[in-house]
Amino acid sequence: MSWIRFILVFLGGWPLAFGSDEFSDRLEQLLTVSTRDGRLRGRMSGTLEIESYAMQLPAPGLLYSESAFLTAPRWNVFLDVQMGAEFYFFAQVRADRGFDPGAAGAQVRLDEYALRFTPWRDSRLNVQVGRFATAVGNWGARHGAWSNPFITAPLPYENLTGMWDTEAVPLSRVLLLWSHVYPGSQGKETLAEKFQRVPIIWGPSYTTGILVAGELGRWRYAGELKLGSLASRPDAWMHGLEEWTHPTVSGRLGYRPNQMWNLGVSASAGPYLRDFATVNFKTGVGRGDFEQRVVAADVTFGWHQWQMWSEVFASRFCIPKIGDVDTVSYYSEVKYKLTPQWFLAGRWNQQLFSTILDRGVATKWGADVWRIDFSPGYRFSAYTQLKFQYSLQHGDSACRDFTRTLAAQLTLRF
Amino acid sequence: MKKFLLSSYPDGLSRRWAGSIYEAIQELGTWAWRVGSCLGLLGISVEAATIEGRVSLPKVRVAPVINQRYEIIATGGVLGTNPPLAVVYLEGKFAGAATPAVVQMIQREMAFVPALLPVRIGTKVEFPNLDPGFHNIFSFSLAKRFDLGRYRSDEKPVPSQVFDALGLVTLRCDIHEHMRALVLVLDTPYFTITDEEGSFRLIDLPAGAFTLKVWLDSKTIRERPVVLVRDTARRMDFP
Ligand SMILES: [Cu+2]
Repeated sequence: MSWIRFILVFLGGWPLAFGSDEFSDRLEQLLTVSTRDGRLRGRMSGTLEIESYAMQLPAPGLLYSESAFLTAPRWNVFLDVQMGAEFYFFAQVRADRGFDPGAAGAQVRLDEYALRFTPWRDSRLNVQVGRFATAVGNWGARHGAWSNPFITAPLPYENLTGMWDTEAVPLSRVLLLWSHVYPGSQGKETLAEKFQRVPIIWGPSYTTGILVAGELGRWRYAGELKLGSLASRPDAWMHGLEEWTHPTVSGRLGYRPNQMWNLGVSASAGPYLRDFATVNFKTGVGRGDFEQRVVAADVTFGWHQWQMWSEVFASRFCIPKIGDVDTVSYYSEVKYKLTPQWFLAGRWNQQLFSTILDRGVATKWGADVWRIDFSPGYRFSAYTQLKFQYSLQHGDSACRDFTRTLAAQLTLRF
Repeated sequence: MKKFLLSSYPDGLSRRWAGSIYEAIQELGTWAWRVGSCLGLLGISVEAATIEGRVSLPKVRVAPVINQRYEIIATGGVLGTNPPLAVVYLEGKFAGAATPAVVQMIQREMAFVPALLPVRIGTKVEFPNLDPGFHNIFSFSLAKRFDLGRYRSDEKPVPSQVFDALGLVTLRCDIHEHMRALVLVLDTPYFTITDEEGSFRLIDLPAGAFTLKVWLDSKTIRERPVVLVRDTARRMDFP
């Protein structure tokens, strides 16, 4: 495809053509504007990303592809506006082929926008309204392509469970079919299914709502009221306002014993079913009964050239008249900078499922999964980065025991 | 009373003519220096030369905007502006420093202080972090490529780098994309930084023929030849 070649030449040629970061530094100054007194300042920035995947079908995680090779370009534009010390506004516009890498047509979306009010000069209290990443966990703050050592998200953020958000589970057996626990009964995974299944938490979860957050000494707190559960999909975030009768409540309490460590616990509760899925409900069962409840813990460590992140999520999906089903997923990720330009990262992920009674037999409602991710990366300059990722996954495919995925991502910042 | 000698290229002269005149003045300067030295040996009070002047600086830069999309920043996103400043230095042949200098560039309230640091080649620069959170200073500049990683404020020794190659080094932070500082590595012990009005004063200069240079940014360096005689003060402006 000639346009892909064009983009590659353009991106690859960027650091060579401009030799140093000076051009980008000047561009940054050019894209920053200010009133004369400096009280109102705005900056436009962004990334150009091009990702390519070579995978075994069915496409793993949140990749939407019927072909074993997928290339997904993306253009991110950020706007940051500082209005005095009290107000801060940001927005993120994306042009790509779908929120998650896929072969969809080109689209432009306003994925994030928020206004933050900080009444005091310290950060004891901040109130934010808009559509923005969840405060739960620690991945939301580092999900950008530039700062993240990996190309795909950790398992809890992208491994699709057998739970659907488009239809309530009518029988245990149906859930076991949806989650492919009964081999052969449903055949292999299909792409269409991906538009029904949900993970524990969908990527950064850009849902609409209000956030109250702050810092008190070594403690950090955040509480949010959002229109959409952690498991909700990007398509649902866009139609967030219909969710106002059943908001999701989430929060995180963080503690920093020193500069190296950052610890946190989070919790969330909200309905995982879309509102249109409730049309056929019998009386006595409401949408609010189909609740997703999550408790999570996260830890971040940094020292010299080392960085480490780890999170564990326990999610319950409540199914009235059938019973609750649980899943636990965790990951540990380590990054080491070999040189100012080279880095290596490794990640271990696992997800386990509880059992559900099917005709009197306790059966796991999902296939336990583990995955190893390995990623080397190189920064050509302060604005251009190339990453590779190799993933080996065991479980959750009706076709084979091991699934391998190779990915490459070129990121250009401006 | 001793006199100073000062020269600059007269406008409109060809480079060749200017070159010859420059050489002649250099020769004269060397003689003046010898005379000065003799006076010194004779016990007549001799003081070092001084240059004062003013550089017209570029327009005030816009303060950066902090990206705080996923992080609540304690300073409320308000940063001090770094007004554009110039580095003024005397270029010539000078003896190496007996002991290399050690200077500091601190990280405070999400900014490098000072944001522009001229140093002599071989200088060790220490980077103390006075903020409650981490910073991660790095440079991809050819004159010095390094990454200090994340270090605690109480770590000893304070992380440092020896700047052993001439040129401009752009310092950045891997955590805070708005943070930026410049280290200008020079081959002279005689340099200063202007104030916000562009005024400068270089003191304790040796006698001799040199070039006075003004660094304004990576693309703009202005220069004028100068011959200094001891115990003299001279004004040199760069309008
Ligand atoms: Cu920093």
